[in-house]
Amino acid sequence: MSQWLNGVIDQAQGLNDYLAPMRQQALTQLKMQGWPSPRDEAWRFTRLTSVRDRISAADKQSEAFAVPEIAGLKPVDLVFVDGQLITKLSDLSLPEGLNITSLGTQEASDQEKVSRLYAQVKPQRHLFGLVNDALCQQGIYIEVAEGVSIEQPIRVLNLATADLDAHTRVLVNLNPKSRLTLIEQGSGEQASLTTAFSEYRIGEEAELEHYRFALFTGAAKQVGGSHFSLESRSKLNSTFVGYGSELSRLDVDITHAGEHANAEMNSIYLLAEGELFDLHSTIEHAVPNGTTTENARGIVGELAKAVFNGRIHIHRDAQKTLAELNNRNLLLSNSSQIFTKPELEIYADDVQCAHGATVAEIEEQALYYLLTRGIDRSKALVMLNFGFIQELVNAVPNESIREWLLPLLSDRFARMEVK
Amino acid sequence: MLTINNLHASIDGKQILNGLSLEVKPGEVHAIMGPNGAGKSTLGYVLSGRDGYEVNEGSVTLGDQDLLGLEVEERAKEGLFLAFQYPVEIPGVSNMEFMKESVNAVRDHRGEEPLSSAEFLKLAKEACKQVQLPLDFLKRGVNEGFSGGEKKRNEVMQMILLKPSVCILDESDSGLDVDALQVVANGVNSQRDGERSFIVVTHYQRLLDFIKPDFVHILANGEIVKSGNASLALEVEKSGYAFLGKELEEEVEA
Repeated sequence: MSQWLNGVIDQAQGLNDYLAPMRQQALTQLKMQGWPSPRDEAWRFTRLTSVRDRISAADKQSEAFAVPEIAGLKPVDLVFVDGQLITKLSDLSLPEGLNITSLGTQEASDQEKVSRLYAQVKPQRHLFGLVNDALCQQGIYIEVAEGVSIEQPIRVLNLATADLDAHTRVLVNLNPKSRLTLIEQGSGEQASLTTAFSEYRIGEEAELEHYRFALFTGAAKQVGGSHFSLESRSKLNSTFVGYGSELSRLDVDITHAGEHANAEMNSIYLLAEGELFDLHSTIEHAVPNGTTTENARGIVGELAKAVFNGRIHIHRDAQKTLAELNNRNLLLSNSSQIFTKPELEIYADDVQCAHGATVAEIEEQALYYLLTRGIDRSKALVMLNFGFIQELVNAVPNESIREWLLPLLSDRFARMEVK
Repeated sequence: MLTINNLHASIDGKQILNGLSLEVKPGEVHAIMGPNGAGKSTLGYVLSGRDGYEVNEGSVTLGDQDLLGLEVEERAKEGLFLAFQYPVEIPGVSNMEFMKESVNAVRDHRGEEPLSSAEFLKLAKEACKQVQLPLDFLKRGVNEGFSGGEKKRNEVMQMILLKPSVCILDESDSGLDVDALQVVANGVNSQRDGERSFIVVTHYQRLLDFIKPDFVHILANGEIVKSGNASLALEVEKSGYAFLGKELEEEVEA
């Protein structure tokens, strides 16, 4: 067992709010599952020792923090600092049809709405998801009314500034034919642990444009997840960007709960020296006629480790499913590691599915050719090896985000060493 | 301009250059001929700074710079240009983007303003026409799917755009028919301005009918064993490199 997990359980047992039934369920699961062994498939390549024995060192959040800007985006920002929501929701002026409530709401009707989503979309198998279920008191519930399209993006920020455990939750309920752009963004580099989980119910014919920028680095540990349930004819377009840190892990679940839904998920990870990033995605095609396209592409630097596990599960009744999954990697050094495992599990016979994974290295000859023409090494590396990442950036629907991401990622890549 | 003194170089522990010396003054054209395995291509790689080639002894100066102390890209910025025998194909990077990046890197080093896309396009189109490549070659991936002759012309186009001070042409004639050879040679000749120097590495004399050298050197076993004027190339053409063996033997005996 883990000293840290015991602490979590003790602490959760003292929480007696309207979410207590869900917390109890999670605790039961946690006690049953226990701390994962290194053989546990979900944690085979990512060691959890640093969390197992963790004692958070700070007793309060630091006062200094900066909200990272994305030029031209002008989002509604909802800011968590070390797990505390610091945005005053009552100060926000929101358009008609958009409702944002805190998890700590005292309104019985709001509490009921939260309860209908909390721990309902996210599967119970995620260890840290259960921890979050048990302990999370800071979170946001966002609802868009039927037929309403919200133009202004909403951004939920998780900033880690002190050595604390932060547990936050985002719940999004899109009613039929509504539309929303939502960005989950997290960063921090000093020792800390953030568990940030989000659950999305995308109603019939509703559309969600989703981003998750998991930009924690250094000693900041993040273990989180984004979980989606797609009702019929709904659309999800999701882009994940991950840096690596001492421990950085995301779990994504997309469930086709209604027919003719469409999910596109693109993931990019760029890992500098010694970093770890672990992405597990599970797509459940529970009903017929769903479409999923998933691309995960990453560059792994010296002594860095990437783990990608992409599973597509097509249930017996899910005929006429179209599903594609692809993972491409570039290793910059002999000491770079990628553990990639695309998995297709198909129980229906009339489906079209494809999956694949590739791992490439730097092409020395092409690099030399560009250098002999006076092009600087970092620029040459970007020209030669960044194209497959750039393709996914170009596919980002939002122009401001595209223009923010491209230099951010190409600069990070250009600073990485090739050995 | 370029002074190579007693250059020794090896790759993977195998000694290729064994004390090569050469002095190239501004505006001169030096042809280097020699049999296969003499070290002709190695010379270009060592001068350009390719990874894996180790200089064991000797020095190379370009102007007043210690060439061997510079990185590959710095050598290019200082005015060294190597036209490859087998230019690499780079799908995914357009010829245009590549050459613009290259030209602006060199301009920046010279303290000149970068060219705008429109300005560069104008120059690139002219150079493209000069080497008789269709303009759509600017849009294609670098050397991607180009024939042997098209690759050589693409190299000359880069040379025209980069305006280097010393050009090394590594067997730019290999695999070309006479028409293509003429195009490549015309491109090179158009760049002879009395200041720019050339080292023309070739197996055959044929190219030297089109690019008239001031000096011809015979490279064998990693060093220059004989130097002369253009007539030396004709001698090689007539009797091959067989005489080398004899002369070397004679030298040893003497």
